[in-house]
Amino acid sequence: MKKFISKIYLALIIILLYAPILTLVVLSFNSSKTRAKWGGITGKWYVSLFHDDGIMNALYTTLVIALLSAVIATVIGTAAAIGISAYRQRTKSIFMGVTNIPMLNADIVTGISLMLLFIAFKFTLGFKTILLAHITFNIPYVILSVAPKLKQTNKSTYEAALDLGASPIYAFFKVVFPDILPGVISGFFLAITMSLDDFIITHFTKGPGVDTLSTKIYSEVRKGIKPEMYALSTIMFLTVFILLILINTNPKENKKTEHIINSKARKVSKLIMHRLIPATMVVVIIIGGFVYSKTNKTVDSKKQLIVYNWGEYIDPKVLTMFEKETGINVVYEEFETNEIMYPKISSGAISYDVVCPSDYMIQRMIKNNLLSKIDFDKVPNIKHIGSQYMKQSRQFDPTNEYSVPYCWGTVGILYNKKMVKEKVDSWNILWNKKYKDNILMQDSVRDSFAVALKSLGYSLNSADLDELNAAKNKLIKQKPLVQAYVIDQVRDKMIGNEAALGVIYSGEAIYTQKENPNLEYVIPKEGSNVWIDSWVIPKNAKHKENAEKFINFLCRPDIALLNFEYITYSTPNVDAAKLIKDPDIRNSKTAFPDPKDLDRCETFKYLGTKYDRIYNELWREVKSK
Amino acid sequence: MAKKLIDLVNISKSYGENLVLDDLNLYVKENEFITLLGPSGCGKTTLLRIIGGFESPNTGSVIFDGKDITNLAPNKRQLNTVFQNYGLFNHMSIAENIAFPLKIKKKSKSYIEDKVKYALKLVNLDGFETRTVDSLSGGQKQRIAIARGIVSEPKVLLLDEPLGALDLKLRQDMQYELIRLKNELGITFIYVTHDQEEALTMSDKIVVMNQGYIQQIGTPEDIYNEPQNAFVADFIGDSNIFPAVMVHDKLVKILGAEFECVDVGFGVNKPVDAVIRPEDIDLVPVGTGILDGVVTHIIFKGVHYEMEVTANGYKWLVHSTDMFPVGSEVGIYVKPFEIQIMKKPESEDEEAIVIDE
Repeated sequence: MKKFISKIYLALIIILLYAPILTLVVLSFNSSKTRAKWGGITGKWYVSLFHDDGIMNALYTTLVIALLSAVIATVIGTAAAIGISAYRQRTKSIFMGVTNIPMLNADIVTGISLMLLFIAFKFTLGFKTILLAHITFNIPYVILSVAPKLKQTNKSTYEAALDLGASPIYAFFKVVFPDILPGVISGFFLAITMSLDDFIITHFTKGPGVDTLSTKIYSEVRKGIKPEMYALSTIMFLTVFILLILINTNPKENKKTEHIINSKARKVSKLIMHRLIPATMVVVIIIGGFVYSKTNKTVDSKKQLIVYNWGEYIDPKVLTMFEKETGINVVYEEFETNEIMYPKISSGAISYDVVCPSDYMIQRMIKNNLLSKIDFDKVPNIKHIGSQYMKQSRQFDPTNEYSVPYCWGTVGILYNKKMVKEKVDSWNILWNKKYKDNILMQDSVRDSFAVALKSLGYSLNSADLDELNAAKNKLIKQKPLVQAYVIDQVRDKMIGNEAALGVIYSGEAIYTQKENPNLEYVIPKEGSNVWIDSWVIPKNAKHKENAEKFINFLCRPDIALLNFEYITYSTPNVDAAKLIKDPDIRNSKTAFPDPKDLDRCETFKYLGTKYDRIYNELWREVKSK
Repeated sequence: MAKKLIDLVNISKSYGENLVLDDLNLYVKENEFITLLGPSGCGKTTLLRIIGGFESPNTGSVIFDGKDITNLAPNKRQLNTVFQNYGLFNHMSIAENIAFPLKIKKKSKSYIEDKVKYALKLVNLDGFETRTVDSLSGGQKQRIAIARGIVSEPKVLLLDEPLGALDLKLRQDMQYELIRLKNELGITFIYVTHDQEEALTMSDKIVVMNQGYIQQIGTPEDIYNEPQNAFVADFIGDSNIFPAVMVHDKLVKILGAEFECVDVGFGVNKPVDAVIRPEDIDLVPVGTGILDGVVTHIIFKGVHYEMEVTANGYKWLVHSTDMFPVGSEVGIYVKPFEIQIMKKPESEDEEAIVIDE
């Protein structure tokens, strides 16, 4: 009975561990494209997987990086382990600790630090940087598996070899190395496994156009999971599974019985270790090389365009349409914030062809001579961009020569008509005691100071200490009335009728109005912040003409409309705005305010580090009072 | 007289604060079986490693066959070592192990084959060529290590406690083997051990060491019968060491009782140490000996009984084939030539002689 229960327990654990993987494997043979339906067994996803050049390239890159990084890390790691083992116990444990830390360190920290290091040393992010990163994180694993073997080896064998007349090098390769070989081999396989497995570090150290399977899958999955991905994941699982079996059955285990089956078993294991595995590697690299060079031929470097954009900031359809119409191959990369994007451009580590930064960042890039002028003869569709937006752009691009507006929005007050009966047209309503504990402010320095500065009639880019102090005092005065300083929750709380008034971005306001018809958005009469994200071409772009074609394509009203529907931020393309089907949105004052309202608005400007610090200091005073 | 093969001159070695060898001088003659004997930590293994080239002395020099080899790498020295834990190469067959030094010397295949066969025969392990190291017993491994050490015909074979891991019977067999090998090959053996019985059985010359100093150099008989100080006396075999007073020549007062002895030249009424081996004490009926005592402890050891007799406040260790039950009163008698008189240690160095095992 007891046995029976323990068997059930074991079965449960195995089911829990492997059920997800089994599901994946089963789905990879499902001929129906949706997960919900079983359409019969098929191998077609595997076939189409092997016909997908992008994936096959990623597969080849993954294998090459795994093998190369494992080989190099094994050499370095083994040498390091031997060096470490020669130290006294205390030094040894310090060194082992130091080498173990990168392994325990969060991958994301390792990834970001490696990226920063590469950028600092002006490495071009790409294949080489991924390789270096993988070598770096593989070395500790090799050391970890070689060190115990060294500890086990009889120290006197090395001395014995020397004693019998062997030179130190001969003694190492003939005597020490064969002894630690099982550790070296399992370190090598462990390194391959870790390399195949890695996503985060690769994500941070890769350049545009280079993908390993993991980053490829990640970017594919964001667009919606294709069944080929199930097939690919199944293959990856099996590969790692087989590698792990190889690691765990390394030759040292059968030493005990070796003298019985002796020479035969030895020959077989020797054959596997010395011939089969290296031969397989060579074959993989050569075949992969053929496939790679063949597929690479189709990508003419002149027919390429490297785009660097915000995440989820373009309709994927638009990219394929562009590729089809122009025959230009788009390499598409995404960034999360302006601050992540900026160092990649300024370091020159990667030559992007077209980038979409925000207003203040464009100003900074122009100032630092990072952008090249756009040839507007090649961008005739610029005529569809509303003149008011070109005028607004002059705040950060004074001659309108460097940027083409793509998306924009304002900051204003969102209020609940059921709770606020009076007319809302001024920032000062946020200081009205009636709405105590019903006001939501943005938990961000520049946004909060913009509200206070504007309500006092100053510029939201003020660099006047008196004005800033006045704004600070005004924010402190407001503090007892504020329910909370939040960011994303403004949206949810306003939808849920939890507050009467909130400072919000127009793009989000459109969304809240769909969810709760009682909400109204207004740009106060004192003026506010308008933000614009525009396309620019960096100085080191290699395909400037393609970049201009791309910008021109995006300015086409039908394309701009597709993007507007996908992104839902306001479009500066007035002819696209006219094509919007839903009259509520087409005429929405939130999405498309009157030009005169916009005239009172300013974009944020880059104020320099000194004022960044002053703003932050004052904001801290506000928050701590 | 054989010539000096190895001459160690003023060797000192310390690890940090810890002085292991202090200004040591020693020579080894050709075709000699010399044993470095001492408790662990006495510096004997360090001395062996200095000769082998694995350590270099802080001061002093190692002269080999007239040449200074102090700074020569171990692989350039004409001497081989048999390590305590054998140092066999596990991934090689027995034949490959033994052939290792010959391959380095780039000998021909047939020469190597013959030599391996010969070496295996010497250690009585014919036909073991294709066996693996793991399949051997401890004694067999030890023999293979010795075969590997002698196959390239070194002038000197260094042996670092090679029998330490073996059981008693095997150890005794190997002792005879080693003596036979040494006589057949004419190689000089430098042997390190802490086992005094091993040292006495095999050596031509024994070097007793303690705390980095040589305590006594001599033949096994010299060392056993005439220890020069209390440390040697105590370390070699079992001993009764008593504080005594030399009344005058040939008369010593031990624990108040006067014993006749054969030693002269220690002066009159001088404090000395007297050494009496337990097998040299005769137990006689009460009143017929020099002093009387009571048996307080007895163990049967096979060849003899080991007894503890309390007399004049001291416990005397006695080996005898006659049995006296615990509680019986006995007389103690020692023949004059069985008493060994030693000077009391005077210098600080000599006083440092303590057994730390």
